[in-house]
Amino acid sequence: MKPRSPGSVPTRPAERRRHGWIPWLWLLAALGCGWIVATTPVTADLSVFVPRGDPVADLLLEQLRNGPTTRLIPIGLTGDSEAARATVSRRLAERLRNSGQFTRVANGADALPEAELQALFAHRYRLSPTVVPERFTAEGLRAALAQRLQELQSPLAVLQKRWLPADPTGELLTLLRVWRGGIGEPAKRLGVWFSPDGARALLLAETRASGYDLAGQQAAVAAIRAGFAAASAGTRVELAMSGPGVLATLAKDQIRAEAELRGTLAMAAMILLLIGVYRSPRTVWAGALPMLAALLAGAAAVDLLFGKMYMITLAFSMTLLGETLDYPTYLFSHRRAGETVEGTLRQLWPTLRLCAATTLLGCLAMITPDFPGLSQLGVFTIAGVTAAVATTRWLLPALLPPGWIPLRPGEVGAWADGLLEPRPKLALAFGALGLLLLTALIARASPLWENDIAALSPVPPALLRLDQELRAALGAPEVGRLIVITAPDAETALRHGERIAAWLDARQAEGTLDGHDGPMRYLPSQRTQRQRLARLPTPETLAANLAIATAGLPFKPGLFQPFLDAIAAARAAPPLRPEDLRGTLLGTRLDALLFAGNRGWTALLPLSGVRDARTLIADLPQAADSQAHYLDLRVETNRLMADFRDTALIRFGWGAALIVAVVWVGLRSWRRVAAALLPVLLALVVVVATLLALGERLSLFHLVSLLLVLGIGVDYGLFFSRPGTDPAARRRTLHALLVCCGSALTVFILLSTSALPALHAIGLTVSLGVVASFVAALTLARPLLTRMS
Amino acid sequence: MKRWGWLLLLLGSWPPGLPAADEALDRVMRALAAVPAVQAAFREEKMLAILQEPLVSSGMLYYHAPAYLRKQTLQPRPEEYEADGHWLTVETPTDGRRQFDLNGYPQLRPFVEAIRATQAGDRATLERYYRLDFQGTPADWSLRLTPREPEFARYLTAIVIRGHAAWIDSVETLEADGDRGLMTVSPR
Repeated sequence: MKPRSPGSVPTRPAERRRHGWIPWLWLLAALGCGWIVATTPVTADLSVFVPRGDPVADLLLEQLRNGPTTRLIPIGLTGDSEAARATVSRRLAERLRNSGQFTRVANGADALPEAELQALFAHRYRLSPTVVPERFTAEGLRAALAQRLQELQSPLAVLQKRWLPADPTGELLTLLRVWRGGIGEPAKRLGVWFSPDGARALLLAETRASGYDLAGQQAAVAAIRAGFAAASAGTRVELAMSGPGVLATLAKDQIRAEAELRGTLAMAAMILLLIGVYRSPRTVWAGALPMLAALLAGAAAVDLLFGKMYMITLAFSMTLLGETLDYPTYLFSHRRAGETVEGTLRQLWPTLRLCAATTLLGCLAMITPDFPGLSQLGVFTIAGVTAAVATTRWLLPALLPPGWIPLRPGEVGAWADGLLEPRPKLALAFGALGLLLLTALIARASPLWENDIAALSPVPPALLRLDQELRAALGAPEVGRLIVITAPDAETALRHGERIAAWLDARQAEGTLDGHDGPMRYLPSQRTQRQRLARLPTPETLAANLAIATAGLPFKPGLFQPFLDAIAAARAAPPLRPEDLRGTLLGTRLDALLFAGNRGWTALLPLSGVRDARTLIADLPQAADSQAHYLDLRVETNRLMADFRDTALIRFGWGAALIVAVVWVGLRSWRRVAAALLPVLLALVVVVATLLALGERLSLFHLVSLLLVLGIGVDYGLFFSRPGTDPAARRRTLHALLVCCGSALTVFILLSTSALPALHAIGLTVSLGVVASFVAALTLARPLLTRMS
Repeated sequence: MKRWGWLLLLLGSWPPGLPAADEALDRVMRALAAVPAVQAAFREEKMLAILQEPLVSSGMLYYHAPAYLRKQTLQPRPEEYEADGHWLTVETPTDGRRQFDLNGYPQLRPFVEAIRATQAGDRATLERYYRLDFQGTPADWSLRLTPREPEFARYLTAIVIRGHAAWIDSVETLEADGDRGLMTVSPR
């Protein structure tokens, strides 16, 4: 479609009538979209980055969502005296245990309560790894009894001797050693855990809710706060806590507060800017309508197609919609007397249409069935931009009076002509600078991209530091490297775990790793238990062996009858299953390492001090009906991020090709395509170079911001390279672009001063990009048009 | 009734002769506190219900002010307990060297303090864990320590320390289940 020649278009009553239904249709659509949006859940979920059908990635996700570490809340108590901190620790632990929100609350005071000791004692012959036939021969018993006799000498014997008559072989001691080996314990003062310097009393709470159940985590955090308020009454003790769930909860609050503050400020600044520039309040609501339409339509489209929305997609998409703020501005600045609103829009439409089309096609490339997150971003932007441009084109003329002009129309003074004067030498210099920077960027060997997922975390650095401090002090398992076994049932998983544990013992002896843990340590498979019990001696054999073993030792006759009874009872007992341990500390530890999921049962074998991961991956013993995978959470997550980014980059490349194609289709002239697109290319190069010079490493946030810069920059290029020769029209265009650039700068500079890494990255990149795009389009577009003709 | 209660309470807390005993205990404590270091031999006999005959062991005791105590058993098998400040180090042939923070094991600390705080003449620490009952004269005394904490009283009825002047002669441990241990200390 060719742009119509400028001139007034008469308002016909028929046209007004014909457009009367548009506002009603728009309102209906907006309400419909609003309803869809309100009824769809928003999830904060890492699966946004995960390609479908990657088994390791699936395991990783499950770990990140439900793994035992995501449920841990380390708690620190500081301030007041050591005694006060210890007292508050005790009271708080008791309250939290009674709150029902936690599966475990540990502060050191409860190392093993009497009931737990009794439970371990009752199951000793099924659980203890030292239950082997040699232990119950006459020689084995003799050695054990001699050992017990020596222990009785010790001043500590007073605490242990009550177990002796029923457990002369010391299986309870073995079990306690196994139990203690699981995780390191912090130092204790006054009977509870403290940090090494004594400044902080420490507790560890394990929530019932998963780390990604934000509502559940919020309830847990509220319970801790309430418990602390009651436990610390009258003291000056202060509370600190962390853990993935708490961080997410706190981060959510902080991000919301920060976003609301900056959003309000940006909104106020925008309103002031619009009123200040146009002196017309109508521009405020008319300017907001396209953006509103974009948000509603984008969110509704994603909801309809995907059924849920990722929090991060929402944030990214709203950034991308920044472009839609410009659409009404183009209309406002190009208004002039003697022309209807409809008429102005008809003139602008080819360019405006092309602006929207470039963005749409650029985003089309993002839709891929492999990455739901990327697809959501594409769908959101496509629907949003379509709605915004349609609102500008058809709703605004139906709402605004036909002859409406802002009180101060889009006019700039004569100085603008000097600014608009083509300066080929300057343009050449800019082009050369761009080429130079591009070469430097390509030649640059140092890493361009931030691959560490931690850098993407919206959590403020101070909170992350607290989390690390608390974890380090608590020796809380930071499950970084582990072997994951998936099996159809718990028994199969445990059996496979036992095979791997034996294999890991050999690797540990070779120095491949320092240590390993796993559910089979605490609960052997039923097969192993049965084997153990079957090899226990018969009562007659045991009695005979015991008689030989005790000969000459000072133990009173008949003392070991409870032992004979216990072995006889154990031989007849069924093996323990995971559900038999529910409600005990042993069961809690087991639940963290062995649990049922949607793909059967999962067993986790945390590893420590892994020196040679390749051996572990290559030779890991596999079983017929269960799978074992070696998982390095950090490496895997970062690999996923890098994969996601690489896919995104390739897709953006295709998007760029589509943009070139659509601009050619729209303009039918390579010269005009170059005039429209080369400035934004230069701007992108300058922005990336500037970001790197500022010491930033590029993350997904930067990448999405660059996309917005691309969208806005292409618009600037298209508008500056409009072929109109009318100087007044060109001044109006300059005015429009100045307002667009100014409003974008107002919003994004506000964001760039935020302490939150994500807001800062987006704000900085877009601010730089808007300025670079504007300057590049202003200097390059016209020389490119004239020079090349 | 209330008045009588007060009177009883007064009487109970004021047994005849207590000021004299209290003063004698203080004198013993001061004398013990003046000792910078001790090296002695010990012989210990434990009478346990589960055994037909006493368990006998012997070895060396080392102390230096204010908070270092080491019990080195030599017979029948070597074993070592070393309390320094709030750290307890245990070394046995089977388990090797292990360190415990006494702050984290409330059930161990009173055992250590019974001997260490007495030798250090640290009455305040003793009173934190025990009720003290002093008998005799500074020249020939006995001090009965009864645990304050019910948790600890589950294991231990009392520890009776006998001595003369600034020297501890014996430590007798009376356990709640009737078992008994007697450690006699002689200069070396």
